[in-house]
Amino acid sequence: MIFTGCDVGSLSGEAVLLEDDKIIGYEIIRVRPRPEDTAREVTAQALAKAGLEFEDLDYCVSTGYGRERIEFAQSSISEISCHGRGAHWANPNVRTIIDIGGQDCKVIRVDKLGYMVDFVMNDKCAAGTGRFLELMAKSLGVELEQLGPLALSAEDTVGITKTCSVLAMYDVLCLLYDGETPQRIASGVCSAMAERISKLAKRVGIKPEVAMTGGVAKNVAVVSQLKEILGLEQLELPNVDPQIIGALGAALFAEERAKRQLRTSAVGGE
Amino acid sequence: MSALQELLALPDRRDNPYVKEWKDSGRRIVGSACGYVPEELIWASGLLPYRVECRGCTETNLADVYMHRFNCTYARCILQAGLSGEYDFLDGFCFLNGCEQIRRMYEIWDKHINTDYLYMITVPHSIYEGGFKWYEEEILNFREQLRTNFGKRISDDSVREAIKVYNESRRLVEKLYDMRKAEDVPLSGADAMRIVLSAFHMPRDRYNELLAEALGEIESSGEHVEYSARLMVGGSAMDDPHLLEIIEDLGGVVVTDSLCYGSRHFLNLVEENGNPIQALAKRYYYHNPCPRMLGEYDNRLKFNEEMARGADVDGIILQKIVFCDTHGADNVMLTEDLEEMGIPVLTLEREYMLSDIGRFRTRIEAFMERIARR
Repeated sequence: MIFTGCDVGSLSGEAVLLEDDKIIGYEIIRVRPRPEDTAREVTAQALAKAGLEFEDLDYCVSTGYGRERIEFAQSSISEISCHGRGAHWANPNVRTIIDIGGQDCKVIRVDKLGYMVDFVMNDKCAAGTGRFLELMAKSLGVELEQLGPLALSAEDTVGITKTCSVLAMYDVLCLLYDGETPQRIASGVCSAMAERISKLAKRVGIKPEVAMTGGVAKNVAVVSQLKEILGLEQLELPNVDPQIIGALGAALFAEERAKRQLRTSAVGGE
Repeated sequence: MSALQELLALPDRRDNPYVKEWKDSGRRIVGSACGYVPEELIWASGLLPYRVECRGCTETNLADVYMHRFNCTYARCILQAGLSGEYDFLDGFCFLNGCEQIRRMYEIWDKHINTDYLYMITVPHSIYEGGFKWYEEEILNFREQLRTNFGKRISDDSVREAIKVYNESRRLVEKLYDMRKAEDVPLSGADAMRIVLSAFHMPRDRYNELLAEALGEIESSGEHVEYSARLMVGGSAMDDPHLLEIIEDLGGVVVTDSLCYGSRHFLNLVEENGNPIQALAKRYYYHNPCPRMLGEYDNRLKFNEEMARGADVDGIILQKIVFCDTHGADNVMLTEDLEEMGIPVLTLEREYMLSDIGRFRTRIEAFMERIARR
């Protein structure tokens, strides 16, 4: 049986296909204006990679901001539960997940089975989110993917006091005009980001092991800064793209729900 | 329309028939802006006390001219309503230094809105004997002020009568809260809130009649709501049933609260014997404290715990309006302590007007996934 998780967020959409507890295909795309289009397109691309078609899907769970608008999904679950579940599948020792997506960050605690027991989510603000990094990269004239390596190449850092995205953009501009190097500024940006995330994490309480998920987990400088602040050696999940963890969790819930449905119909239940 | 239907409909009505009838008969209305304003005194002067709010407010463009964006949207929305003439029916408005946001708004109201009579009661920010004396004196001053402005002497007997009427409301509302403690919850939290809010918008004696009848209707209907988790709501001033509907659409049922527009307004009776002014001062000064009161955190924690346990809730949603510093600090501490007691807590930040529903829903949904009775 093939189970799908589809995560439509604010900046990117992901689909994960799961068969026999293995990821048989996944895809990440930039969001389209309509969440239903993002979902269909990203799922179609993941299916194409695995040589499958929509008819082959047995059960789909959607998650993310667009989760309720995806007509081919049988049900939906919040991305908070999904990130917890997905990260726990990738590393069963994980108890705390720091997920930083396009427009929010969340810290999620899970039990030994991967079910969420507590979480905090930032309030409406782009500070400390993927959007913030995107704006900073733009201000520095580099691609988002280059921001982390650029920061790591700096010998030391410069303080970015504001984490408000709009004000920080102004800060960056002023620093550039003052002759600061893009390297040092990039490093300052990533440190500011890590600092902000660490405060949120401390509010829920950090229970090892800790994993970082979401698009920002791909920024090497943020990850290494965060490790330093939290005093942790490992934040990376083994052998899996951190950006697909939400969709992966949704696929795991799809599997659970499909099997439960089979069981109840087998005993003549609902 | 049955009594129950009438109470459910009133908070959402733009045309309040009770206000109209009251004004048409030549009587006057005085607004109040905080749960520390002793409404009994207003009622005893033959005036209709009207707790000011502004549900349904969608923009603050007029208020933003005078208030900073770092002022909370509760204060800004009330000012907006005042500036746009929605409260022109008020003959007077009694403010209170409940929080800095409202206190600042008072000054702007005073300067830019033509309300015939404005008054400000000040209450000390901590509870001690001298503070009580202060508050008692404030009530006496308020009584004198009402007399000079509206021309009616307020006798001790009329205050006693008012106390009886308001205590009757308190008993009836408590009964409504008791009914919701049952395993079979007879009505949604949104509807319970509508019933409670109606108290602020009509003559209290009429409200008591309607509520007594409505409670009978609820009891005999035998209906109950389906739910996957029982919830309590606390935090900043919250008077929007639609917000509770969002929570309840996700499977929860709100069975109690620790809100100043809810339980805190109605619990704690006023003593009916003895000096009525002193009795009012006692009740209002010592009632379950708002976080504006310093040094009372332990009492608030205890109150929140008792309300939660009393209604057997599975979780508490503590919300606060952005820039509400009073509840902001409290919510963080309450969350820590209540979680430690084994009661799951979700904290939410919101604007007074309904907005950003998507993010709101995501967090509530995740919280429900955490606490729902499986």
